[in-house]
Amino acid sequence: MRRRSSLPVTFLVPTLAILLVLSMVPTLYAIVIALQNRELSTTGYSWVWFSNFADLFLDRRFLNAVWVSVKWEIVTVVATMVVAIGLGVLMFEVAGPRLRNFYCLLFIIPVLLPRVSAAFVWKFAYHPLYGIATYPYRLITGGLIFDPLSKPGTALFAVASVDVWQWGLFFAVIVLKLLETLPPQPIEAARLDHARRWQIHAYVTLPMLKAPLISLMFVKMIESLRSFDLIYVMTRGGPGVATETLDMYAFSQGFIESGKVSYASAMAVLMMIATVITFTMLWKRVQA
Amino acid sequence: MKPYPIRPGRLVAKAILALAGFLAVFPLAWTALNALKNNVDIITRVPKVIFTPTLANIGYILGRDSVLTGLYNSVVACGVAVLIGVVLGLPAAYAVARYPNRFAGDIQFFVLSLRFLPPVAVAIPLMVIWLQVGLYDTLPALIVTYSLLTISVIMWLAIPAFQGVPKEIEEAAFVDGYGAYAVFWRIALPVAARSLIGAIAFSFVLVWNEFLIALMLSSSNAKTLPIVASELSQQGMNVPWGILNASVVLLSLPPLLFLGVLSGFLNSVFRQKKS
Repeated sequence: MRRRSSLPVTFLVPTLAILLVLSMVPTLYAIVIALQNRELSTTGYSWVWFSNFADLFLDRRFLNAVWVSVKWEIVTVVATMVVAIGLGVLMFEVAGPRLRNFYCLLFIIPVLLPRVSAAFVWKFAYHPLYGIATYPYRLITGGLIFDPLSKPGTALFAVASVDVWQWGLFFAVIVLKLLETLPPQPIEAARLDHARRWQIHAYVTLPMLKAPLISLMFVKMIESLRSFDLIYVMTRGGPGVATETLDMYAFSQGFIESGKVSYASAMAVLMMIATVITFTMLWKRVQA
Repeated sequence: MKPYPIRPGRLVAKAILALAGFLAVFPLAWTALNALKNNVDIITRVPKVIFTPTLANIGYILGRDSVLTGLYNSVVACGVAVLIGVVLGLPAAYAVARYPNRFAGDIQFFVLSLRFLPPVAVAIPLMVIWLQVGLYDTLPALIVTYSLLTISVIMWLAIPAFQGVPKEIEEAAFVDGYGAYAVFWRIALPVAARSLIGAIAFSFVLVWNEFLIALMLSSSNAKTLPIVASELSQQGMNVPWGILNASVVLLSLPPLLFLGVLSGFLNSVFRQKKS
C-alpha cells in the first residue's frame, strides 16, 4: 500500500546533514587544534604536528589520569551492575505490585538529578564535621573525624558512590522490568525441581537476560565517561591527583592552570579515538 | 514442623530494599530541609531535625541576579534546543522506522555513536570556533551545541516509539487515501505521542543537567543554572550552607517535575517489549 514518496528524503536528509556538520566540525577541528600549539592567552600559533602527543606520553600526570579513568570506569560499571541486579532481583522476589511501583518511583529520582546537584548533596553529606553521612561514624566513635573526600585512598570511591547512587538504583528498576518480561514457565519448572531462589536467578533468569544486561552495561560504560561534573564539584581532581580523570585533567590544562588549549585538545583526541574504537567494537559484538 | 515457617531471608531482603529506598530519597530530602534552616542549625555536630524554619535562603537565591539570569539562560537554551530536536529528530526517526533502507542500521549507529564522543572533545574545539566567529559566551552558541545532543537523543528514542505504532493503522489510512505526510501527522504522531513525550522529556532533562559544555562555552553572559550553582560553592564553605542547599533544590526541581512522565515512559517501553 505504501507508495513511493518523497517523505524519507525530506525527513532524513536535512536532519542527518545537520547532525553530520554539528558532529564532524568539532571533531575535525579538535584534531587540527591538537596538531598546533594554541594557547588561550595568545592569538598566534604554529603547526607542531605530533609533538603534543609525544609530550603526553612523557607526562606522568597524564598517565595518572589514564589510570584514574580506567579505575573509575571499572569501579562504577561493576558496582552499578551489582547494585542493579541485586536490588532488581530482591524487588522481584519480595515486593508485591504496589510496593514495586513505589520503589521504582523512588529509585528513578536520583538519576534525574543534575549531576551537579547530586554532587553537592553528597559533598554536604560527606562533610567530616557536619555531614549527615559521616554522622553515624561520629556517633559510634564518639566524635572521631572521617573525611572520605580528602583521603587519596577513599576519594575515588566516595565520588563513585554518588555515581552508583544515581545509576545503580535506576538500573535496578530496569532489571526488575526485564525480569517481569520473562515467561513464568522456566521459573516454575526450576521451582518444581526444588531449586533455591538464588539458584533460579543465577542459573535460569539472569542467563536468559544476558543480552539485555550486556546492553545495559554498555550504556553504563558510555555514561561513566561523563564523570566530569561529579569530580569537578566534589574534589576538583584532588586530593592531589587522586581523582583526576582524563576530562578533568584536560579541562585544567586547557582552562584553569595554563590555557594550553592544544595540549588539552590532544588529550581529548586520544580519548575520542579510544572510546570510539572501543565502543564501536563492543557495539558490533553486542549486536551480533 | 512449624506450620508457618518464618523466613529470615525474606525479612532481610525486605530490610535491604527499605534501606535502599531510604537512601534513594533521604540525602535529597535532607538537602531540601537544610535549605529551610538558618546556618546555626546546619553547622551542628549532631544533625538537627527540629528547628525554626526560615525562607531567607530561598528568598536570597531567588533575589540574586546571577541566579535569575542562569535560570533564564537554562530555560531558553534547553527549551529551544529541545524544540529543534523535536522538529528535526521526530521526522527523521519516523523515516528510519517506517521506510527501511539499506542505511537504516548505519544511521542508527551513527546517531548512537554521537553519544561516544567525550564532551571535552566537543567542547574544546567548539570554544575555539565560537571565539573565532564571535559567538562565544552567547545563547545561540549554546543552543546549536545542545541541538546535537537533543536531535540525536530524540531520534534514538523515537525510532522504537514509531516502530511500536501498529502498522495496520497506517496501512488503513493509506487505503483511505491519506498521503505519506498526512499519515505521519494525523496517525503516527498522535498514536505514538505518549512514548514521544517521554523521549522529549528525557532529552530536556539531559540538556538541563549538562555541565561541562556549558562551563566551557560561557564566561559571564550565557552561564546556565548548573554553572551558577557550582560557582556559589567555589567561595568555599564560607557561603552559608543554607543558600547552597536552596540553589541545589532550585536546580533539581525541573527534572523532578518529569518523574511521572519518565517512569510512565519506562513502563511503556517494557510493555512493548513484552508483547
